[in-house]
Amino acid sequence: MNFKHLLLAASIGLASSLALATPSVDDIIHTANYKTYYKGQDGKAKVKMTITDAQNRTRTREFTILRKDMPTSDEIANHAYQGEQKMYVYFNRPADVNKMVFLVLKKLEADDDRWLYLPALDLVKRIAATDQRTSFVGSDYLYEDVSGRNLSADTHTLIGEDDNYYILENTPVDAASVEFSKYVMYIHKTSFLPIQTEYFDKKGVKYKSYTALAVETIQGHETITKALAKNLSTGSSTLMEYSKVQYDVGLPDEIFTERFLRKAPRKYLR
Amino acid sequence: MNQHSDSETVNPIVLFSINHPRVITLLMTFITAVIISLAVLPNFFPQELNFLHTIKVDTDPENMLSADNPARVYNTQMKKEFSLSDIVVVGISNEDNVNGVFNPKTLANIHALTQFSMSLSWPDEHDATKTAGVIAVDILSPSTVDNMEQGGLGTVNFSWLMPEAPTTDEEALLIKKRALNIPFLKGTLISEDGGALALYLPITDKHLSYQVREALLTKIAEFGDTEENYYITGLPVAEDTFGVEMFKQMAMSAPSAMLVIFLLLWWFFKKLIFVTSPMIVAMVCALSTMGILVITGNTIHIMSSMIPIFIMPIAILDAVHILSDFFDRYNTIQDKRKTIIHVMNELFTPMLITTLTTIAGFASLVLTPIPPVQTFGIFIAIGVFLAWIWSITFIPAFIIGIPDEKLAAFIRSRADKKEENAHANKTFMARLLIKLGRFTYHQPMVILLITFSLIGVAGYGISKININDNPIKWFNEEHAIRVADRVLNEHFGGTYMAYLALEEKATENTTAQNFKPTLLQRLTAAEETAIQAGYDTHNAFNLLATLIKDSKLDKNSLELQLIDLINKKLDTASDEEYDGWDQALLFIDSEQQRREIFKQPEALHYLANLQAYINNIEVVGKSNSLSDVVKTVHRELLLGKQEEYRIPDSSSAIAQTLITFQNSHRPHDLWHFVTPDYRKTSLWIQMQSGDNQDMEKMETLIADYIQQHPMPYNLQAKWFGLTHINVVWQDKMVMGMFESFAGSFVIVLIMMALMFRSFSWGLLSMIPLTVTVGLIYGVIGLIGKDYDMPTAVLSSLSIGLAVDYAIHFLSRAREYTATYGSWEKAIEPLFSEPAMAIARNAIVVGVGFTPLLAAPLVPYQTVGIFIASILFMAGISSLLILPAFITLMQGVFFKQPNNA
Repeated sequence: MNFKHLLLAASIGLASSLALATPSVDDIIHTANYKTYYKGQDGKAKVKMTITDAQNRTRTREFTILRKDMPTSDEIANHAYQGEQKMYVYFNRPADVNKMVFLVLKKLEADDDRWLYLPALDLVKRIAATDQRTSFVGSDYLYEDVSGRNLSADTHTLIGEDDNYYILENTPVDAASVEFSKYVMYIHKTSFLPIQTEYFDKKGVKYKSYTALAVETIQGHETITKALAKNLSTGSSTLMEYSKVQYDVGLPDEIFTERFLRKAPRKYLR
Repeated sequence: MNQHSDSETVNPIVLFSINHPRVITLLMTFITAVIISLAVLPNFFPQELNFLHTIKVDTDPENMLSADNPARVYNTQMKKEFSLSDIVVVGISNEDNVNGVFNPKTLANIHALTQFSMSLSWPDEHDATKTAGVIAVDILSPSTVDNMEQGGLGTVNFSWLMPEAPTTDEEALLIKKRALNIPFLKGTLISEDGGALALYLPITDKHLSYQVREALLTKIAEFGDTEENYYITGLPVAEDTFGVEMFKQMAMSAPSAMLVIFLLLWWFFKKLIFVTSPMIVAMVCALSTMGILVITGNTIHIMSSMIPIFIMPIAILDAVHILSDFFDRYNTIQDKRKTIIHVMNELFTPMLITTLTTIAGFASLVLTPIPPVQTFGIFIAIGVFLAWIWSITFIPAFIIGIPDEKLAAFIRSRADKKEENAHANKTFMARLLIKLGRFTYHQPMVILLITFSLIGVAGYGISKININDNPIKWFNEEHAIRVADRVLNEHFGGTYMAYLALEEKATENTTAQNFKPTLLQRLTAAEETAIQAGYDTHNAFNLLATLIKDSKLDKNSLELQLIDLINKKLDTASDEEYDGWDQALLFIDSEQQRREIFKQPEALHYLANLQAYINNIEVVGKSNSLSDVVKTVHRELLLGKQEEYRIPDSSSAIAQTLITFQNSHRPHDLWHFVTPDYRKTSLWIQMQSGDNQDMEKMETLIADYIQQHPMPYNLQAKWFGLTHINVVWQDKMVMGMFESFAGSFVIVLIMMALMFRSFSWGLLSMIPLTVTVGLIYGVIGLIGKDYDMPTAVLSSLSIGLAVDYAIHFLSRAREYTATYGSWEKAIEPLFSEPAMAIARNAIVVGVGFTPLLAAPLVPYQTVGIFIASILFMAGISSLLILPAFITLMQGVFFKQPNNA
C-alpha cells in the first residue's frame, strides 16, 4: 500500500530501533495535537482540495491557509502550547469563489468565532459555530478537522501499540452532541503524527477514515503534505495536497481581523 | 395393432388414447411431475441445482418496458447521476393534539424511529463490501436535516433541525416554525398545515422495502398506544406488498375458482367420476404452464401470475364439450367406445380450430412492445396447446377407463328419469333453449334490431373510454397502502414524484468560431478589474490576447492550451509577475466556468419561472429545484428578509451561495438537484395523483410552456421517474393492444373462412366475438372504469372464448342442416345438445370466476368480472345472433347445401 512506503519515508533518519518506554496517554495526545496544529509560531500553506464522489466525478478547490498561535510557548508537558489560535482561509479557485475568505478565531474554553466573506455578495457574515461537525466547503473534511477538535471533548485510551504506532481510542464525553461513537487514531511513534484515523458510528460501523499519504520535513517540522479523507457512507473522498508550506512566516496579528476579509493580505497569500 | 373393429375412423392420436388409456395417464402424470420438479426443486436446493432457475417474483412496474427501452435507460442513468434512490415514506399525523405531531411525546417517538431506521442496514448478501438497507445519510427526518436561520447580530446559524427530541411544547412548536420556514421542507417533510410530518427513508434496493416496513412496524408497535398515527407507503413498499399479495392471490383465488367450477360441473353432470377429468386437465395445464414459465427463467409478474386463471376456463371448455356430447350420445349408442369415437370425430376439427384461434388470440400479444404482456401471451398459448393435447387424449382415455357397469348404471338412472318425466319434462334449461331456438327462427329481426342498437350504445361507450392506470390503485380502497396514500396526499405536496431533467442539447460545436470577439471583450474587462485591484497584468494579458486572436482551436481546446501555458509561466515567474499570471489563470478559469450552466442566473431564473408555472398545475402539490436552494440560502445570508428570497445577480454570487449551503451536515444533498459539473439539473415535482392521465396532462402542459418560453443555453427538458415510465408503457400498451387485437382478428377471420370454406360463414363466425368485445369495452367506457393493463389484455381472451362458441355452433348448424334437410328442421336438434354444451360451458366457467371478486387486488377483480361477462355475452350472442342471421340470410349461407 502506498501509505506504507510513505511511512517508511517518514521514518528515515529516525532512530526507530530505539526501544523507548511508552509515554503516557496524555503525552501522546498532546504531542500529536501540537505536531498537527501548533507547529511554529505561525504557518502558511497552499492547499489543493480534490473532492471525488462515488461516481468518480471530481471538483477542486484551491485555497491558502494562514495560521497564527497566540501562546508563545512550545511546551507540551504543561500544555502551555495550547491556547487561542487564528486562522485565515483564502479561496483562489474555482474562479467563482475567488476572494472568498473564512476567518476563524479558535478558543479553548468557548465556542470559536467564525466569519465568512462572500465577495460576490459583498457580504461579511458571522457564523454561529455551535456545531463544528459540518462539512468544510462541501468536502469530506469537517470544520473540526481543519481547526482541530478540542482534546477535552473526548476521553482517550491507549488500546494498543505496534512497532510504528500508538493506537488510541477516543470516545466523546457528550455522546449526544456528535454523530460518532468513537474514533481510533494511529499515531506514529516517532513523528507523533496521526497517520490514520477511523471513525465509527453509533452502531460501531466504521464510516469515515483519514489517512496521511505523504509526510515531508519542512523547516525541521514533520508535516503531512498529502492526506485523504474517505466517507464510507457516501462513497465520497477528499484529497488535500499541501504546497508552499512555511513556518514562522511572521504573520502580523492585524490580518486576522474583519477588516482584512474584504482586502486580502496579498503579500502573505502567494 | 387395433383389435377393435370400429365403425368409424378417428384421429390416430385419439385412437391411441382409447387403446392405451393407462399409457396416456402415466405419460401425463410423468411429464407434469417432471415439469413441476424442475420448477420447484431448485428453490429448496439452490446450491445443488444452481443450473436451474428458481421462482422469481417481479413486481417492478419498470419491467413493463424492456431493459433497453430508451425511456428506461435514461431513467436509470438520471437516477444514478442525481443519486436518487427508491424511498419508503413514513407519514405521521396526530389528529388528537391541537399542535398535531409537534408535541414532545410524538417528536420523541419520531426521533426514536429515525434513530432506529438509521440502523436498518446490514451487509449486502451479494457483495459483502457493500451495505444494504436504509441509506442513513440521505434520510429526511427532523432529526437528520439541517436548519439554517438567523442567530442574531448578523449571525447565521447552521444546525440540525431537531438534534434531540424537545422537552416542552414551546420547543416543539419552534421546530415546526423553523421547518415551515424552509421551502424545501414545507410540503415535503412537514405538511403545509404544520400538523403532520413525513420521514423519507431511501433504500439501496427497492426489494428491501417490505423488510424495512416490517421492521418499522415492529418498532412503532413498541411505542404502545400512541396519539399519533403512522402510515407507511411509497412506491417500493406498494410494489413489494403487491408481490406478497400476488402469491396469496395465486394460492387462494385460482383454487377457489377451481372449486366453484368443480361444484357446478358436478351439478350439471351429477356423477363425480365424470367431473374429475376436466378438473385434472385444467390443473395439469395450469401447473405445467407455470412450471415451464419458471424453468425457462421467466419471472412471476402481475401479468404472468394471472396465467393459471386464464388457462383454466380454456382448458375446461374443451373437456366440457366432449363430456356434454358424450353424455347425450351414450344413451342412443349404448357403447362407450363407439360413443367416444363418434363424439371425438364430431368434435375433433372444431376443437382443433378453436384451439388454434385461441392460440392466435394470445400469441398475437407478442406484437405488443411490453415484455410482461408478451410473456403472458406466449405462455397462455402454450397452456392452451397443452389443454388441447390432454383434452383429446386424457379425457377419452379416462372415459374408456370407467367400468361399463358404472356407466350403464349411471346412464340408466338418467334414462329412467327421462322416461318418468316424458320428454315434455326436460330440464328447465333444455326447455328454455328449445324455446330460444324457435324464437331466433321466428323473430330474427327483433334480435338483430336489439343487437344493432346495443352496438350503437357500445360505440358511444367506447368513445368515452378513459385510458388510465395507476399501480397504487391495483390495491383495494381499504388496503393499508391505499389508506396511507390517501392520508399522505391530503397532508403533503404529494407522494408521487416526477422528475424533469434539464441539460444541454447534444449539438455539434455550438460556439463555432465567433466566440473570439466576446472572449476578447471579457478579457479586457477582466484586465481592467485586475489593474484596479493593483495587479501588474500587462505581460500576461497581452500574451493572452495575441494567442486568442491567432488561435484556430475551438474555445475549450484553446482554454486548455492557455491553462497549460500559464501554469508553466507561474512556475518560473518572479513575485511581481506571479500575480499577473495568476490573474490570467483566474480569467481562463472563469471562462471555463461559463460552461457551468446551472450557476448562471439566466438558467436559474428560467427554472424558477418554470416551477412557478408547474406549481399552478392542478395535480401538482409542490416542486423543488436548485433555484429554491439558492433562494433560501440567499435569504438567510441576507438577514432572513423575505425580499431576499431570490436568485442573486451573478454566477459568482450563486456559486458562493451554494458553497455556503455545502457548509452543512449534508453537503451531498445538492447533488440530488444538480450534477457536480453544473450542466444537468433535476426538477422534482410532487404530485397528489399517480394516475397516468394526470402525469400525461402535466407533461403536455409543460411541453407547451417550454414551446412558448424557449429555454436558454440550448437546453432541453426530459422526464424521468416512475410516473413517467408508467406513461411510456401505457402509451405502448394502448397502441400495442389495438394492433395485436386487429392482427389476431384478421388471422382468426382467415382461419374461419378456410375452415368453413366460405368467406360469408367466416365473417358470420366473427360476429359473436365482435359484439362481445364491443359491448365489453362499451360498458367499460360507460361506467367510467379506466382502461388499464388488465382490461387491455381481456380483448385477447375474448378472441379465445367467443370464437370458440361460434365455431361449435356453426359447424353443427351446417352439419344438422345437411342431416335434417333444412335450416328450419335443424333448429330444434341444434338447440338441444350443442346449445346445451355452450350454455353449460358459459355458466360453469363464467360463474367459476366469481371468487376472484373477493380478491384484494383490483386487477384480479377486474379479470374475474370480465371473464364472466365475456363468457355470458359470447354464449348469448352465439345462441341468438348467429341463428338470427342465418335465418334471415338462408339464401347466402345455404346456397350449396351439399357443401357442409
